[in-house]
Amino acid sequence: MNTHISSAYDRDLDAIQTLVIKMAGLVEEAIMSAAKSLEMRDTDLADRVRAGDKVIDALELQINEEAARVIALRAPVSKDLRAILTVLRIAASLERIGDYAKNMAKRTGTLVDMPVIAGSDAALRRMAREVQAMLKDILDAYLRGDVALAEDVRQRDHEIDQMYNALFREFLTFMMEDPRNITTCMHLHFMAKNVERMGDLVTNMAEQVIYLVTGEMPEEARPKGDKTAYVTDAT
Amino acid sequence: MKDTNMQNPKISAKGVQVYYGDNQAIKDVNVEIADKTVTAFIGPSGCGKSTFLRCLNRMNDTIDICRVTGEILIDGEDIYDAKVDPVQLRAKVGMVFQKPNPFPKSIYDNVAYGPKIHGLARNKAELDEIVEKSLRKAALWNEAKDRLDKPGTGLSGGQQQRLCIARAIATAPEILLMDEPCSALDPIATAQVEELIDELRQSYSVVIVTHSMQQAARVSQKTAFFHLGSLVEYDDTDKIFTNPQDPRTESYISGRIG
Amino acid sequence: MTHKSLLTTDARTKRRNASEARFKAYGLGAIVVAMLALAVLLTSVIGTGASAFKQTYATVSIPLPEAKLDKSGVRDLDVMKKVTTIGYASILQAGMVAAVEGAGLQTDMKAKDIGKMLSKEASATVRNYVLANPEVVGTEVTFDLLINGRIDGYFKGRVTMESAALDSNTSPEELKLAQQLADAGIVQTKFNWAFLTAPDASDQRPEAAGLGVAILGSLYMMIVVLVLALPIGVAASIYLEEFAPKNRWTDVIEVNISNLAAVPSIVYGILGLAIFINFMELNQSSPLVGGLVLTLMTLPTIIISTRASLKSIPPSIRDAALGVGASKMQSVFHHVLPLAAPGILTGTIIGLAQALGETAPLLLIGMVAFVREYPAAYTPDAGLFGEASTALPVQVFNWTQRADPGFVERASGAIITLLIFLLIMNAIAIFLRRKFERRW
Repeated sequence: MNTHISSAYDRDLDAIQTLVIKMAGLVEEAIMSAAKSLEMRDTDLADRVRAGDKVIDALELQINEEAARVIALRAPVSKDLRAILTVLRIAASLERIGDYAKNMAKRTGTLVDMPVIAGSDAALRRMAREVQAMLKDILDAYLRGDVALAEDVRQRDHEIDQMYNALFREFLTFMMEDPRNITTCMHLHFMAKNVERMGDLVTNMAEQVIYLVTGEMPEEARPKGDKTAYVTDAT
Repeated sequence: MKDTNMQNPKISAKGVQVYYGDNQAIKDVNVEIADKTVTAFIGPSGCGKSTFLRCLNRMNDTIDICRVTGEILIDGEDIYDAKVDPVQLRAKVGMVFQKPNPFPKSIYDNVAYGPKIHGLARNKAELDEIVEKSLRKAALWNEAKDRLDKPGTGLSGGQQQRLCIARAIATAPEILLMDEPCSALDPIATAQVEELIDELRQSYSVVIVTHSMQQAARVSQKTAFFHLGSLVEYDDTDKIFTNPQDPRTESYISGRIG
Repeated sequence: MTHKSLLTTDARTKRRNASEARFKAYGLGAIVVAMLALAVLLTSVIGTGASAFKQTYATVSIPLPEAKLDKSGVRDLDVMKKVTTIGYASILQAGMVAAVEGAGLQTDMKAKDIGKMLSKEASATVRNYVLANPEVVGTEVTFDLLINGRIDGYFKGRVTMESAALDSNTSPEELKLAQQLADAGIVQTKFNWAFLTAPDASDQRPEAAGLGVAILGSLYMMIVVLVLALPIGVAASIYLEEFAPKNRWTDVIEVNISNLAAVPSIVYGILGLAIFINFMELNQSSPLVGGLVLTLMTLPTIIISTRASLKSIPPSIRDAALGVGASKMQSVFHHVLPLAAPGILTGTIIGLAQALGETAPLLLIGMVAFVREYPAAYTPDAGLFGEASTALPVQVFNWTQRADPGFVERASGAIITLLIFLLIMNAIAIFLRRKFERRW
């Protein structure tokens, strides 16, 4: 991409992008730490995740302010306009992902004193790692303007949904087996749901990246993998 | 480039080439301009947008070395046909210039001049009516009605430009050409003229050349981007400003080194 | 680099300021020199010429005896015309002697010399009066008669007792008597209207010479120039500036017009002589030919100034007119020309003023001739402006050639008259420009 005639304009746009990358890095870390704190029953780590969300929120605020400033001063059009719009939506998505990570960390604090549901921690962690990988890829796609990679990430949300479906059924089974598991399973289920929502938000980001590069939102309906809305029983 | 053919275009240019001596200023421009629409021509200085605009009412005829080939149809009639008298053409295609250029005469005479030379009024009462109607359309009546006999050059810049617009619409044109009409005006006067252009759209086909992309974005429905004498891109204004197809358009409107 | 205090001036700045001050001083010096030259010119011309606007007259009562002036006794003009100015001279002499005696003045001068105190023009004045009014014969009429040039010069300080003693045309006694007559109120100095209205006079009588014919001739020529040069010049300029295609031919024409403005005026005289007099056989010395020659000479000036003022009209006005559908001609005549008019008028008046002061070409076409008859604007024989005439600058040239010192004064007086005319014309030009100049 050619540079602007006004170099200060380029510097402004670069500065905003840097903030987004920094924010994305923090969010990635929050996802992994939340999953790890659950697996390790590490309440200190969970507390750090909860505290770290404040930094993520502050970054989103800063990105919003910077974007508003660029809109007011530079009146961006075309690709620049899309870049600013994309940044705003990506920052909002990242902030929500951060919130979900915080929520996971909160529930970890509660789960520490509860019985362990076999395999669920590792499954959640796999889910979280997958989401984190998708987030990493979508950032690469964003930085490189790589539509193919963004489309690939968008398709991968299906896998997250599958994993969530499996966990959902698993939790149902555990709860039916032993009603004392219900509290634990409900918490774990919310955590799984959080990760599943993260996947949806990453998909949104992928769509933003496609819009940023092509100027058009992808029309083709993305594969919906969350079938739990239709589940009637654990069988 | 997207297919720009439309139903019943007001102006239809086909393969227009303009030469200044040996210099080719316009290279094979094809464009169709709709009625009751504001069409903006944008592009860097020297890209030929003003030259092309001046082809539309044959103002280029006044330049000896200027030669126009190709076809420009207005309502299906070739305006470069030997049978066309530019004087009649210019009554149908009014023009407003970059610098407000009222005649150094009274406000009334400025507006009445066109109708007088074209014989549009049979008597003084009709002429008065045309003058009032034109000044009202140009949103200048309230400011000017008590000083119709005062010189037009005594008005402020923005008022002068609206007087020029009133003068142009007094000959009952169907098309209004505007060559950077706000470049000499302050932001308030610019806003007033832009508001006026938006109203004029209901009665005329307006073609405006502008250096201000924001202005093109604000007032026009269609935008044509010229570069080095060629029409690079012509599309709906919101399309041009959110998602232009040609990288040259992209670079120009986003202020990049192209 | 850090800057020093702004309160101190560095050497470089000082040098720059000094050179600017020097340049201003040179400019001022040049203006002072020019003003001095102008002052010297005006002082010299006014010093010698102002007195031409005053003239010494003797108020004398002249008896007009029938025996001498009308031998027929029936006021038959044919008979009366046989009495020449020499015949009248003796009557005037008697009148003068009677006036001297009536004033009770003693003089050693002979009656003949007392009569010579009057100008030679005086007898013609009386004769013309008598022929025009035959009924006065036999009565006594009081006339204001011109005194001769030397005595006139004495009252204006040009002739002194010492110079009179060496001059065969006058004598100290004559001047003394003139002084006594002046003291008695018989001889007095009055404003000289005749200088502006009378025709030229012969070498012998500068006191009678006037500019009447020259002013009339110049006026006729100016009319010819105005009527021909203005429309032709303006039409040519409009065509060249607004309509003509810009190509090699119009470039050639343009360069040639500029060159014509620089052609020495005498060349136009030769051209006029060849074309108007030798080829077209128009009357020599006539204001018509003079006017035609001056028209040729003025045309380039008018064309250049008209084109300049047309060029100075901003193209936006033309665009505006064309933009509302005016034709090329309408845009020129409705908008451009009215705006250019002050400039065109100024250029024309300056061209006229230049023509008014032009001498050389007129000499060649014979306008230097001695003309005593007022030229008629139109006569069936000579046609329009066809009668022989002279012109103001030529009259100046003519008078400076004459021997009698009285003509030096007349020539300077004529220069003052010419300068006043030029001043008036330039004032009109400035007035028109101020009045019609419009801003846009």
